[in-house]
Amino acid sequence: MTALAAAPSIALRPVPWKRLAWVTWRRYRFTLISVLGILAVLTVSLFIAGQHARTAYEALQTCHPKSAANCRYLDETFHNTYGSIGFLGTFLMLLPGILGAFAGGPLLARELETGTFRYAWTQGVGRMRWAAALVVPGAVGIAMIMVSFGAVITWREQPLIEYGATTRLDVAIFPVSGLAVAGWAMAGFALGVLAGLLWRRVLPAVATAFGVWFGLAYLAAKDLRPHYLAPLQTTSLNLSSHNFFVSQWWTKAGVRVSDSEINRILQALGADVSGNQVKVHVSSGGAPDPIRTLIQQGYTQVTSYQPVSRYWTMQWIEFGWLAAFSLVLLGATFWLLHRRTG
Amino acid sequence: MNIIETTGLGRRYASRWALRDCTLSLPAGRLVALIGPNGAGKSTLLNIIVGLTAPTVGEITVLDGHPAGSLAALDGIAFVAQDMPLYRNLTVGDMLHLTRNLNLSFDTAAARLRLADLGISEKQKAGKLSGGQRAQLALSLALARHPRLLVLDEPTGPLDPLARHEFMASVMTAMADEGISVVLSSHMLAELERAADHLVLVANGRIRLNGPVEDLIDSHRLITSATARSDDHAGWEVIESSSTDALTHRVVRLHDPTMDLPPGCESRSVGIEELTLAYFRNGAAAPSATLTGASR
Repeated sequence: MTALAAAPSIALRPVPWKRLAWVTWRRYRFTLISVLGILAVLTVSLFIAGQHARTAYEALQTCHPKSAANCRYLDETFHNTYGSIGFLGTFLMLLPGILGAFAGGPLLARELETGTFRYAWTQGVGRMRWAAALVVPGAVGIAMIMVSFGAVITWREQPLIEYGATTRLDVAIFPVSGLAVAGWAMAGFALGVLAGLLWRRVLPAVATAFGVWFGLAYLAAKDLRPHYLAPLQTTSLNLSSHNFFVSQWWTKAGVRVSDSEINRILQALGADVSGNQVKVHVSSGGAPDPIRTLIQQGYTQVTSYQPVSRYWTMQWIEFGWLAAFSLVLLGATFWLLHRRTG
Repeated sequence: MNIIETTGLGRRYASRWALRDCTLSLPAGRLVALIGPNGAGKSTLLNIIVGLTAPTVGEITVLDGHPAGSLAALDGIAFVAQDMPLYRNLTVGDMLHLTRNLNLSFDTAAARLRLADLGISEKQKAGKLSGGQRAQLALSLALARHPRLLVLDEPTGPLDPLARHEFMASVMTAMADEGISVVLSSHMLAELERAADHLVLVANGRIRLNGPVEDLIDSHRLITSATARSDDHAGWEVIESSSTDALTHRVVRLHDPTMDLPPGCESRSVGIEELTLAYFRNGAAAPSATLTGASR
């Protein structure tokens, strides 16, 4: 039993990071190339669409007078053609999650699924440094790539934002632009890596990661983002559409009036209240405007909103919590990896 | 000097113990054969030795007292896992480069030479190699690290007899040339007959027998006597016995190999294969504690 007593005192020099970088590059260059390939194709199509939108918007701006029939026609065409995000826009909203989960999911799961972890984790480098050499460049890389791609999306949406068809705080633009897109991509990646370690299989890992990512993105758009900062309130009926609407309600003499009561009054006035939301639209001339009538009766419409000037503050908030969330997930991954007992 | 020391080692999966009460001291510079039926706990023990699995209970140190799985242990131990997992879409050359970059020291020239001798082209994909070539590639990668301990988990299982022979010859050459220690698991008893120096028998997650091959051969006998006179004898322990009306054959372990046999007994020595089978056939009945206790 002498060997048990002889504790080693020589500190071992670890394998240099430079060599590990080669390993990462050699094993994941196809992933990198395919991610960049997909994004290149999307960039080209966004560029073409963006050029068209820009040309149409320029024509619209230079058209005088605005009330002329041809100008109104241009306006209507522009709105109809570019006003909604469409299929591609929906896809772009999901892209950080898709790419993140597809890049992160196989990272550990493929090794566990094919048994190559028995090779990789018994080399001199040790599994922690090995994993760090994959995870850190992966997370940073996908964040940087998506930030660049977010800039392309922002460029594409610029004419629509200027036109007022959408806002930079819109659910389809905010999370895929600025810094937030980096946070969302990292979250997808980190979810994929952790799910891969837990599932030990590629497909369930990617599916789980994307599912959780989607739930989180939905939650953020619906419940979190509008409340990062206390929304501003206004009683103005002409709030610029560059801002992000949070909610609207009516008050009378400073007391909130329930929506059902307002609907009852509006119906009595002959207005269509098929939805819960009462439109902020002041028509000129014609029949007496129901909204205006309500205002004349002493009701006040209050709108809470996030001003577009808060864009970068909110971007930093979203990036901040997503980065923290990703770090927690990756921390958990490393902890599990360290004490993993196959 | 011992290359592996374990004390009360055990590993539990859910409610099942894959390995328990494993106390071993395996000598350096030997070929230690870990033998047992499938599911006996051989792979679990090897995975603990190379640091892939953490023990549930007990202690293990490798190579001069390093904890299993520590960087120093990983650096000095090369592992060829069951079914030789390699990145199938990488070429042989890439696997060489990959392994070089994952280790502090790697003898690329030696590995190239070995692969060239074996006729394995560096341009071939690892996934396209034959079973024998895969095994040789995995072994070449392991040997080029110049490990102090080489751990092989069922290395010859999927190989044909010729490839198996060549593989074992490569292992023996490396042992002779570099003095490395080898621990390998196998259920191919015949090929170990000549190769192994030290035997560890595992069944149902417990060590049944452990010792240098010579000692084990010396201390075990096949004793034949008339069934009428086949009384137990204080000087031995019966491992397995079978009787006909007239004669009883017993594989026994002698407490003292030099003892005189009682009159009327015929005795001959047993080979590793016969010995091992006797222990395994008797697996459930044998009191393993006495066996392990007596083996050291």
